[in-house]
Amino acid sequence: MRPDNSRLVRGLALGIVPLLAFAACGSDGDSETGETGSEQQVPLIFGTTEQFSEIDPAASYDWPGSMLQINIAQTVLEVPPGGNQPEPEIAESCEFEDPKTYTCKLKTGLKFSDGSTLDSADVKFSMDRMIGIKHPEGPWSIWASSLESVEAPDPQTVIYHLKYADATWPMRLTYPGASIVPEGEYSATEIRKPSEGAIGSGPYKLTKFDPDQEIVLERNEYYKGDKEPIHDTVIIKPYPGSETGLKTAIEEGEIHVAHRTLNSTLIQDLEENGASKGVEVLQGEGTGISYVVFNQTKGPFVEKAVRQAFAYLIDREKIAQDVYNGTVEPLYTMVPSAFEGQYNAFQEVYGEKPDPAKAEQVLRDAGVSTPVKIQLWHDSGDHYGVESADMYQEIERQLESSGLFDVELKSAAWDRYSADYPTGAYQAFQLGWYPDFPDADNYLSPFFETNNFMEKGQGYSDKQMDQLLAEERSTVELEDRLPIFEQIQKKAAEDVPTLPIWEQKMVVAQRKGVKGVERTIDAANQIRLWLIDATQAQ
Amino acid sequence: MVFTPTVPTDKDLHATAARRSWLRKTVDVIAYPYRASSGVARGMLVAGTVMVGFMVVLAIFAPLLAPAGFNEVETAELGAFPKHAPPSSEHWFGTNVQRFDVLSRVIWGARTELQVVLLSLSLTVVTGVLLGLVAGYVGGWLDRLLVLVMDALFAFPYLLLAIVVAFLLADKIPQGLGGGIAVAAVAITVVYIPQYFRVVRNSTISAKQATYVEAARAIGAPPFVVVMRYLFSNVIQSVPVIATLNGADAILTLAGLGFLGYGLQPTEASEWGYDLQRAVDDATAGIWWTGLFPGLAIVWLVVGLTLVGEGLNETLNPTLRVRRLIPVQLTSVGTTAQEPAVAGRSSGRGGEDA
Amino acid sequence: MAGRSGSLREYLLVRLLLLVPNVFVLLTLVFVLLRVAPGDPISAALGGQLPASELARRRAEAGYDRPLLVQYVEYLGQVLSGDLGTTVTDSRAVTDILVVNGAATLTLTVAAVLVALLIGVPLGLLGARFRNTWLDVVIRLFGVLTYAAPVFFVGIVAIVVFTGMLGWLPASHQASPIMQYSVESRTHFFLIDALLAGNTRAFVDGLRHLVLPAMTLGLLVSGVLIRLIRVNVAQTLRDDYVEAALARGISGRRVVLSHAFRNALVPFVTVLGLQIALLLGGAILTETTFSWPGLGQQLVQYINARDYIAVQGIMTIFALVVAVMSLLIDVVNALIDPRVRY
Repeated sequence: MRPDNSRLVRGLALGIVPLLAFAACGSDGDSETGETGSEQQVPLIFGTTEQFSEIDPAASYDWPGSMLQINIAQTVLEVPPGGNQPEPEIAESCEFEDPKTYTCKLKTGLKFSDGSTLDSADVKFSMDRMIGIKHPEGPWSIWASSLESVEAPDPQTVIYHLKYADATWPMRLTYPGASIVPEGEYSATEIRKPSEGAIGSGPYKLTKFDPDQEIVLERNEYYKGDKEPIHDTVIIKPYPGSETGLKTAIEEGEIHVAHRTLNSTLIQDLEENGASKGVEVLQGEGTGISYVVFNQTKGPFVEKAVRQAFAYLIDREKIAQDVYNGTVEPLYTMVPSAFEGQYNAFQEVYGEKPDPAKAEQVLRDAGVSTPVKIQLWHDSGDHYGVESADMYQEIERQLESSGLFDVELKSAAWDRYSADYPTGAYQAFQLGWYPDFPDADNYLSPFFETNNFMEKGQGYSDKQMDQLLAEERSTVELEDRLPIFEQIQKKAAEDVPTLPIWEQKMVVAQRKGVKGVERTIDAANQIRLWLIDATQAQ
Repeated sequence: MVFTPTVPTDKDLHATAARRSWLRKTVDVIAYPYRASSGVARGMLVAGTVMVGFMVVLAIFAPLLAPAGFNEVETAELGAFPKHAPPSSEHWFGTNVQRFDVLSRVIWGARTELQVVLLSLSLTVVTGVLLGLVAGYVGGWLDRLLVLVMDALFAFPYLLLAIVVAFLLADKIPQGLGGGIAVAAVAITVVYIPQYFRVVRNSTISAKQATYVEAARAIGAPPFVVVMRYLFSNVIQSVPVIATLNGADAILTLAGLGFLGYGLQPTEASEWGYDLQRAVDDATAGIWWTGLFPGLAIVWLVVGLTLVGEGLNETLNPTLRVRRLIPVQLTSVGTTAQEPAVAGRSSGRGGEDA
Repeated sequence: MAGRSGSLREYLLVRLLLLVPNVFVLLTLVFVLLRVAPGDPISAALGGQLPASELARRRAEAGYDRPLLVQYVEYLGQVLSGDLGTTVTDSRAVTDILVVNGAATLTLTVAAVLVALLIGVPLGLLGARFRNTWLDVVIRLFGVLTYAAPVFFVGIVAIVVFTGMLGWLPASHQASPIMQYSVESRTHFFLIDALLAGNTRAFVDGLRHLVLPAMTLGLLVSGVLIRLIRVNVAQTLRDDYVEAALARGISGRRVVLSHAFRNALVPFVTVLGLQIALLLGGAILTETTFSWPGLGQQLVQYINARDYIAVQGIMTIFALVVAVMSLLIDVVNALIDPRVRY
């Protein structure tokens, strides 16, 4: 997933609504609608500081967009909660007929939330329109890179013709951006505006989309599948830009579950003092990573030795403890520990502790005069969290204490930042990453392939690396891929096109008595609302 | 505008001071309000001066007084600082989320605030006074145009104006020219220029009609001489009061900018508003010391400046002192057709009641 | 009497006509700030970092490469037609922001002014009545303090005490999510919507959410009121007719209330109205501190997102509010006191 996938780091909290809100809801609801507790129970209320902006999967390449799609729409395949392999969702079965042809048979009787039928034409339409629209903030490139064409020979059959053998194709189909939308209802050339309303086939349907006040989901009576939503109604409550607001909301019981984003100060407080306020913090495997990108098209980092010296000087453990209160863990390769194929190459090459002597030597050997003047960019905290500035100040201190670097820190707000770094405007800069699909490849190809998403911001291009990546992607069996993964990560540590810093845990805060949240904490890093039961929340 | 001291109140002072040294004259001018004031006004003046003076001392001697640098997280004596440590004998005001020593941040912050405010006040006074003199003296379409622009600037919510300017200038001023400090100062400058412009322009217009100025013009004194010699010294008297009150206001605007994340980059200097922003998260976690001290520092400095300004106002402003029966004026001298929209605005938050 | 009302009508008419140039000047200011000033929103925050070609492309995309006059006329046309455009980042009509978030800001500011009146008027009157006594000094100090304490600092302290320590009051948003959900949004004023729905629980919930932000912002404005009332009332108290009234044996309290206060009303209304700048500025900070979904909080978010259409739209709204407020003040003053004519 692109780094724009929302804030990388901190987790969140979930909360449960307190008795007051519960009672209030019941009685007030009655006065207006006459509904009673038996028929319509308490809505589940989910709070987040994330900014929801799009309802169209073709434009949803961030965490809030994916979170919405995963709950209101379906994909051909999905990775079930806690799993790590793709399984059929609207498909009955899928298989490679040959390495470049992937055929899926769809289930019958599928319907969209407007009651219309979902068949293979809609699947083809959804893929074609997304790649055709090429929305600048959309996820289309996940599929466009390997897809030649889609064919729908009959209503239950979809055939994907690939440009080359791609073992990751089934995984790619699980990304929420590949959600199916109805042909005819959605435009083939335009992104659907929020005001037009969303149509999907997921367990929930979108009934209100007001990203500043509330987003309301209700059970989709046309949904056909195994997911059994516990709550008929879910309210997503945005706390834009206010992590403190989100934290007090869960403490006051105004929301049941809070996730993304609570910074490490708030998480630590909730862990230590939340119990008395009825709040619990759940943590699990995370898939978010944070890394530094070096611009190899111009500036000081064109010189490999400068990148290596940088790598020698970073103390990841200190960053994790001092800046993040241990809510993140040091990362010595781009692939997080939750994935098969991780190989801690940076630890092997550069050691766990900073080594100024080696850094100095590598610079001297390359004839680089010190101190090297560099500019280091980080986001202003509106995207990667308020700790960004602190982390980069720490990095600045670590680099400068060696006397080898003279660092100028720069920052910009995310909207500008994300538009600027691909133009090559920054010498070195912070990015984060969540996976599009849970596979180690998604932590390698996106960063190391020639002409990757960072464009002129990075400009890394290496023939051997491209070959290794292609080989790994076309290999189907995991044990055959592992040695290739290892080679790739070793080479990345040698070339340092990016520098991994840490991986993050997924953190959710919830009210006591809420059940099911733990089932959605996994490598997918998503909130599957249908699993959550807040009926017993305190 | 209320400050229209067309009658010099300190004529005697000038007469005797002329024979004394320049230094002595300056001291006299500065000491004058303290001697001339009485009662509550003197109390405010003295108390305010002491409060501001304290901050000035902190600012000047920050390197000696502060236990650590504003962005240091370890020193030789104290070792590496812990994060979020409560006040102790080692860190009197505790440490914050960035592991900075809060006491040091407060002390260095005094330097930042005073730097920005002095810079912005100088910019404001120079620009505002010049424009006001020119507009008032030249008159005609230039005057009308300037009044129009200044009124529009004045009518706008000041914080909004400062935010937009800070946003537009962000990163545009290189480190060598002051960097973020200059950005913040310019943002604040834009907010306050109209006030000086208005006071000076109106004073100029009424002074221009005074007999001695008309006489000077009649005997053929060139405009520059007339402006400098006869108007400038006269008009400039209203400036100290507004400047002090605006200084207080500017501190608040700067802190507001910092709180919202505009103006200074956090790595450039210690700024109280920014520290307060970072303290919001701490507050709900029961960590009170990271927000309390920078907040109190702001209150302290603003109260100090306000007291000085108020004291000066009551002492120097002849309208209030001599002719107390005149209510707040609604119109300024020589208003133009556009002016009613915003007429009667006095110096922002500081001086409505003069 | 007839002549007076005739001139009043005339005055009001002239004043109304003056609104046009006023608005025009303010709109021009907004335009100049965002398009002409050094550092247009496209290159803002990136001093010369962007390659020239990329900068040119973005400027062209935003229509910033056309002649300024064309852009200016287009902008004025937009405002005239009541269409302020659609935001870049979340595709909202700016007019929708005005309606939805403007309602929240209006709720907050009206409540804050009420709080300010409740605190400021009695203290100001007391200060004037007992001018230069210890009570006056205390009241003035209080006034100075409310002015000197940044509104976000007061807000943080209030949150720590009333939410964190005492747990009495909520510290963010207009209402609990569940209440907001249960009340249909008709007017966008949550409290009014709750009343319309007959939902007293939601109404009380909304009030509880309003307390801290309104107190915080109200405290700020009260300082101004205290100063204003104290000085103006004190001044009128020295007027001959007041002295005459006092000499006739009318009680001090009645003099303060019935004579001095009324005569102080004109400057009072004027300056109070002019505090709209203070109020709106304070509202930006208060809304940010309390996650209050008003115009100020929206503006800050859009500025951070560099959404220049939204920023321009919200600035335009503020400009219009300022112009209309000054008109209202003049009209009210003309009605109170016929001597107020320009």
